[in-house]
Amino acid sequence: MKTMSAMKVEFSYLRRQFGQARRGEDPGRFYTDRIIEDIRDFVETADFTLGEKLEEFESKFSELVGVKHSIGVNSGTDALILSLKALGIGPGDEVVTSAETFIATAGAIAATGATPVFVDVNDEFIIDADLIEQAVTERTKALLPVWFTGNAPDMARINEIGTRYSIPVVEDSCCAIDAAIDGRKAGSFGITGTFSFHPLKNLNVWSDGGMITTNSDLMNEKLRLLRNHGLINRDEVAVFGVNSRLDTIQAVVALRMIDDVASITDQRIANAAVLDRAFSELPGCIEVPSRAPNVRHVYHLYMVRAKDRDNLLKHCIENGVEAKVHYPIPLPYQQCCRHLGYKRGDFPKTERDCGSIITFPAHQYLTDEELHYIIDVVRAFYGDNWR
Amino acid sequence: MRNIPYVDLRRQHVPIKDEILRAVGRVIDGAAFILGEEVEKFEQKVAEYCRTKYAVGVNSGTDALFLSLKAYGIGRGDEVITVPNSFLATASSIVAVGAKPVFVDVGDDMNINPDWVERKITRSTRAIIPVHLTGRPVDMDPIMRIARAHNLIVVEDAAQAVGAEYKGRKVGSIGDCGCFSMHPLKTLNACGDAGVITTNDENLRNSLVQLRNIGLKNRDESDTWGYNSRLDAIQAAILTVKLKYLDLWIEQRRSNAKYYIQHLGDVVRVPEDGGDDRPVWHTFVIQTELRDELQGHLELNGIGTRIHYPIAIHLQRAAKSLGYREGDFPVCERQAQTILSLPVYQELTRDELDRVVDTVTSFFNARNRSVSEPRLVAAKAAE
Repeated sequence: MKTMSAMKVEFSYLRRQFGQARRGEDPGRFYTDRIIEDIRDFVETADFTLGEKLEEFESKFSELVGVKHSIGVNSGTDALILSLKALGIGPGDEVVTSAETFIATAGAIAATGATPVFVDVNDEFIIDADLIEQAVTERTKALLPVWFTGNAPDMARINEIGTRYSIPVVEDSCCAIDAAIDGRKAGSFGITGTFSFHPLKNLNVWSDGGMITTNSDLMNEKLRLLRNHGLINRDEVAVFGVNSRLDTIQAVVALRMIDDVASITDQRIANAAVLDRAFSELPGCIEVPSRAPNVRHVYHLYMVRAKDRDNLLKHCIENGVEAKVHYPIPLPYQQCCRHLGYKRGDFPKTERDCGSIITFPAHQYLTDEELHYIIDVVRAFYGDNWR
Repeated sequence: MRNIPYVDLRRQHVPIKDEILRAVGRVIDGAAFILGEEVEKFEQKVAEYCRTKYAVGVNSGTDALFLSLKAYGIGRGDEVITVPNSFLATASSIVAVGAKPVFVDVGDDMNINPDWVERKITRSTRAIIPVHLTGRPVDMDPIMRIARAHNLIVVEDAAQAVGAEYKGRKVGSIGDCGCFSMHPLKTLNACGDAGVITTNDENLRNSLVQLRNIGLKNRDESDTWGYNSRLDAIQAAILTVKLKYLDLWIEQRRSNAKYYIQHLGDVVRVPEDGGDDRPVWHTFVIQTELRDELQGHLELNGIGTRIHYPIAIHLQRAAKSLGYREGDFPVCERQAQTILSLPVYQELTRDELDRVVDTVTSFFNARNRSVSEPRLVAAKAAE
């Protein structure tokens, strides 16, 4: 394998989105100047905590997702923790979730004192709805399906199971802003939906940030109390809460971008389609998961399975393509899960994935040249094997 | 005549706005929004300022307390001793780790009364959280003595007290760790929520760094459950700008407080000036039996005031399950009826201070024709 002509395709697009690189080059996409102007005005109002701009952002986010209420919190992780707490989940309870996800999904369950119960995934890295029922016990207090990579769980099935056993469904839709099944948005299926605005999400702020969506007036009321110390008003406290507010200054940032979420997402989908087509021509080397036509997969992560993954990863990095692995160690086998007693073999698909998955850049700022470079680098790695 | 609001953050931010925006711009250009250099730089500067080895930036003062307790392994079945007159978050962070808050009454200085602490210690007690309320340092020597004798952790709640000094030592450097809030209403304030923990304990520092970042040891491995509670890089950059001005602001607040003490000391009960200690006057709290009337009078005259806090924590609905009753903490409960916070922020002008003084004085002069208000400070001074 030869080293290819030097080009750098970064995984993070934040410099292009906000940094100097594209100034002048592509002013339409250049948000920073406008946001800084907004912040200049905002700083003078000093409306820093649970301010008007946050309310404005919450209501626009409700419109985007198609729900009654949105509650801004400090992070996607906190969106999960507070959702579970608002449902009264705590020590002794179990929450069923996916074995293949970011650590924070399970960390949120553990943070309430409850026990995460893992379920293996299907071929699309998504919780296998067929396996959920056998994980349900008398102690199960919530189902927590994950829209991992920006792809959809079978929400109809999962809601049906939840209804049958009277167990609420909380969506971990942190990766899935603007994702949908048959036009119905992620975050509108469960009792709550949870979102992250971490800088690498398709709607991103300049720090940690999160949001909870719900159609339930009761949950809305509880969550607003919980995120703000349980304060009913300045002086009276209904319940012990926490401090987990989305900074109003970050709502100012998000308001500049929320109208562009659909077009940002469309661009990622288009990029993913280009990669899908090219990789489908490498059977036996790259396995592209099937793509359900009724799902709007938003490709927070563009992930495929690859033969000889570790060497492919190394080859990509050496050639300037910043590929990644999300994630190399199955969550149930992390040291922090040791007390849960899982062992190798319990999650065959997750295990297979952890050894074979690779994530390529597919973000909205990739140029055609860069996309083709990614494809070329991958093709070169497999050489004649794919012909 | 212009009103004097209780707080006026705009006056703080207008003169330093350009500097703040430059700092924000620097973060944007680097696009390093999560942890990274700006956070490390701020942490280092805070550690230097507080004279500790380490500082760890987190999402809020509440989380600073919560994560400190977590890092020391305090949880279910444990008891933590603190005061009932603090902001709610002191107690709720104890509840959040699963432990039980055990309250101790306060002294005249509104801080924990060390004399009452020892009898509250049980076999389940793991920690004491003294609160440097209003920015006045707690009498830490007896607290540390008791803690060491009983092998208890001391977590200083210094949320209101950045820069305060006890016998020449900065608060946050005396106990096992110190917890600070940089909420917009604090003297060192972010443009959003923010907090920091100071400590000399390397193990604690390492646990906190992991706990605040979802338990991650590195990008792929975690050996403990954690949380997402990171100080935003943008807020760190803003705070680094403001830290330069902190001592200036504190000195201005101290001078405002001194002015009030001089000119109101004969009229109403004012706090003591702190002697050799350095209180930083997050709030300036006077006490009077005619509190509600005085507050109304000031309001009518365009002067904003606040009560920190009118309902003690043990009497909140949220604390019901702890089983406390009215009368359990008489000093704290009495203060809740008499305390009133006057504006004391660094931007106040001499004219504004005079207006506050005159308005308070005129209220009592009118009253004193019929009612006699106890003049405790004057009496004390005469002793």
